[in-house]
Amino acid sequence: MERAVEANRFLSIADRVINWSRKYSLWPMFFGLSCCFVEEAAAFTSRYDLARFGAEVLRPSPRQADLLIVSGTVFKKIAPVVLRLYEQMAEPKWVISMGSCSNSGGMYDVYSVVQGVDQIIPVDVYVPGCPPRPEALLEGLVMLQEKVCTERPSRKIFHLGGGSQGTERPVLEVGATKSEDPRGPGYEGVPIRGTSLLPGRLQWGSRSDIMWTPSARRMEFSDADLSLAAEVEERFAGRARRELHSSDMLTFEVDRGSVKDVLRFLKNEAKTKYKRLDDLTAIDESARRNRIWSEGMAEATSDVGAVCSFSKKERGRYPDFTVVYQLLSFDAARRVRIKSGLDAEGGAPVSTASVTDIWPSANWYEREVFDLFGIGFTGHPSLRRILMPEWWEGHPLRKDYPGRATEMAPYTFEDARKRQPLDALVVTALDAKAPAGEKEFLLNIGPHHVSTHGLLRCIAALSGEKIKSLDLEIGYHHRGTEKIGERQSWHQYIPYTDRNDYLAGSSLEFSYVTAVETVADIGVPERAQAVRVLLAELYRLSNHLVWLGTFAHDVGAMGPNFYTFVERERILDIIELITGGRLHAEFLRIGGLAADLPDGWKKAVDDLTAIFPRRLLEYEKLLRRNPIFLARTKGIGKISLEDAMDWGVSGPNLRACGLAWDLRKKMPYSGYDHYEFEVPTATEGDCYARYLVRVEEMRQSVRIIEQVARNMPSGRYVTDDYRYAIPRRGEMLQDIETLIHHFINVTRGMKIPVGEAYGATEVPRGEHGYYVVSDGLGSAYRMRVRGPGFANIQTLPLMATGESIADLISIIGSMDVILPDIDR
Amino acid sequence: MRPVAVGAMSPFHAGVFSLVVFTVLAMLFIASQLFLAAWLGEKKKSPEKSRPYECGIIPTGSARFRYPVPFYLVAIFFLIFDVEGAFILTWAAVYREMGFAGYAQMSFFIVLLLAGLFYIWKQGGLDWKEP
Repeated sequence: MERAVEANRFLSIADRVINWSRKYSLWPMFFGLSCCFVEEAAAFTSRYDLARFGAEVLRPSPRQADLLIVSGTVFKKIAPVVLRLYEQMAEPKWVISMGSCSNSGGMYDVYSVVQGVDQIIPVDVYVPGCPPRPEALLEGLVMLQEKVCTERPSRKIFHLGGGSQGTERPVLEVGATKSEDPRGPGYEGVPIRGTSLLPGRLQWGSRSDIMWTPSARRMEFSDADLSLAAEVEERFAGRARRELHSSDMLTFEVDRGSVKDVLRFLKNEAKTKYKRLDDLTAIDESARRNRIWSEGMAEATSDVGAVCSFSKKERGRYPDFTVVYQLLSFDAARRVRIKSGLDAEGGAPVSTASVTDIWPSANWYEREVFDLFGIGFTGHPSLRRILMPEWWEGHPLRKDYPGRATEMAPYTFEDARKRQPLDALVVTALDAKAPAGEKEFLLNIGPHHVSTHGLLRCIAALSGEKIKSLDLEIGYHHRGTEKIGERQSWHQYIPYTDRNDYLAGSSLEFSYVTAVETVADIGVPERAQAVRVLLAELYRLSNHLVWLGTFAHDVGAMGPNFYTFVERERILDIIELITGGRLHAEFLRIGGLAADLPDGWKKAVDDLTAIFPRRLLEYEKLLRRNPIFLARTKGIGKISLEDAMDWGVSGPNLRACGLAWDLRKKMPYSGYDHYEFEVPTATEGDCYARYLVRVEEMRQSVRIIEQVARNMPSGRYVTDDYRYAIPRRGEMLQDIETLIHHFINVTRGMKIPVGEAYGATEVPRGEHGYYVVSDGLGSAYRMRVRGPGFANIQTLPLMATGESIADLISIIGSMDVILPDIDR
Repeated sequence: MRPVAVGAMSPFHAGVFSLVVFTVLAMLFIASQLFLAAWLGEKKKSPEKSRPYECGIIPTGSARFRYPVPFYLVAIFFLIFDVEGAFILTWAAVYREMGFAGYAQMSFFIVLLLAGLFYIWKQGGLDWKEP
């Protein structure tokens, strides 16, 4: 008896000592999935300084780590990797689930996302937020430390049986120990709000039909557009027709058999040459309402039919699918859209001709269309899935495909065991590359890697240190953002746009609202335009600072990282002052902004612009003449201007090849033509050139910010066209008309007239565009996101083949990749 | 047999004794560390855990095959000249005591290595040969 007490006293002292040591020496793994990781990384920098709490250094390998912070969205394609990394970590280990996505799927209740990481690995602490602020992670860490203190490790350590340490909670099982319902358990019979909006459901009962709006914007075609139209219609008489009205650019409808000829003509022979394939995508037209009407399915609901906004002659115009090609002419700064209808004939799979021999960049675009729509492309070198994993069934962007993960079978621990990513050898074989020789070694770099800047998987065939060939596997970060666009109301989609590039925040909202405003022809007050520019440029600075720090870190310079994040926090402070958000501002609204500028914004901005150029000079001194930095960047990862144009590269990566192509100058929007700034370029097209361009861009952004702050127009911050905007509160309380608009627009959402438009802005990474198609409902019929990264990263094999493996890291760093705009 | 003059040799008996004690202590310490790490450390063996880590993906093929490593040659050469450094530095510490004989021997040693270096150089061993 006495002895047992003695032993317990000894053990409890040992417990205390061990727990005290453990809680102050946690080793988090360098593991990020999406947005949340940016805040996690910020928690390690000087302002938040996680090191104070004894979790100092991020370990790049699971072998050296005992704390897994699951920061971000857990995708079904990445979940097996998450599980493996967890299992490869040292014992005992703990897990913090950071952010709504990791906790429960969050706002991504979509087919490709696991609804909570606790379905595959056990979780100790949940940190709420989307994303949680760095302080929230500190709180989470402290909570974990408290949890560590409650453990009884010494019995385990001394092999006495019993005791506890590490995560011992069970993995949860949907239906048994956890409910996937975001509303909590007990709502099983009640459909989720917005279910009626889900694609595939016939929407003739929509109350949007009772709402009148003017028709979509009709642009005035320029003479150049009309002459091109004449040129094409003459050359392809009867096979290509110009659409009479368009909201944004000249549009042709081309017969299926002639698409390739028309595209080749536009690229090589037309008077204005359309050199770049901006985008290639498709629309599933099967749920178009006038098409359903024409099939006589809606006759029963005649009372709604009476107020349907479609006229009889419009009905039945749509094919099964439309493939959309969008081209850009660099010389004339004009775009053109080619649409081609495809019908399924007698149950045969729908297919059309591949254009990979005209534009090499079409390779991935066509694979994406094949993956998400199931449209085949004859003549494509290796047509297979690109975003969804190989085992996936069905084509998510088809209208009859369920959009929500909660409508599908839950993703389980067994799935994460079984659904492994493709073997590297299989991928190289599928990509029709020469099989790896005896001397070549296949190495996976990513999806979990410090230097891939996200969930990117490079498969390098190495001979020595030389990269003989490189394959990319993407889709590990596919958040189904296009499908979500089809169920969120026009305003509700704005928060998703930020997350399509979590370092560029408002810049992406900017593209999206531009597109919607173009379709519905909504005017934006001057003040709102100026604030949008202000935010976009602030985010450009903040993005480029992160890039500068991480790029320097990639090539071996630790220093700049610590400094650039200081300035970035200052910028985020200003953004927070204005918008209330940090990474995701969610501040732009259709027709203007969410609120007016707050008091004190000018002083904050002026303080920043006063010190920023000096600081930038300081940071540059750390790098520009550093011989190691030069050796790692100069002449590395070259791409020629022709290749860059052909592959659809945009942004600083294109400008580093010598072409001064910047939408802010070439197709000015939101008043950019009133500001004085230059478009920096470099000629070499290597890593160093990309570095020079981005650093110079920061200087120009500061110039723009200065000018905006100096000349901020007064007036309204949101349009008074309340049919489409959320009214100002003061006005809403004054008259019944505005109150009704407010009620409609914040509940079921406003209606956008039938039409389509592409809206793009120059975000830090290049041209980010939204192609929105409206069927006259409260949400988009098709939401296409054209991310610059998708085109940019496709050139990585071109740049890296023949270089050494260390150069690959430089190249990825210099390209400034971010995964959500690649995989979307 | 002539008796050894006092002070002509170092008292090596005592020196060896302390060296032996030191060695034994060091080995005991290392053994205890290894034992404690093995005994106290938590071990959970599983197939996933014993799999090589390759960015979270199951590695392809075997790692045991003939593979060109250009860096290997450089590393080996470095090793040779590193050992040379160890000799030269110890020699520097007893330079005066060794006198001319030591100088001559060391010079011969260095010349020999230099000849080796030139041979390597001539053979192209210092070129970074890409496979």
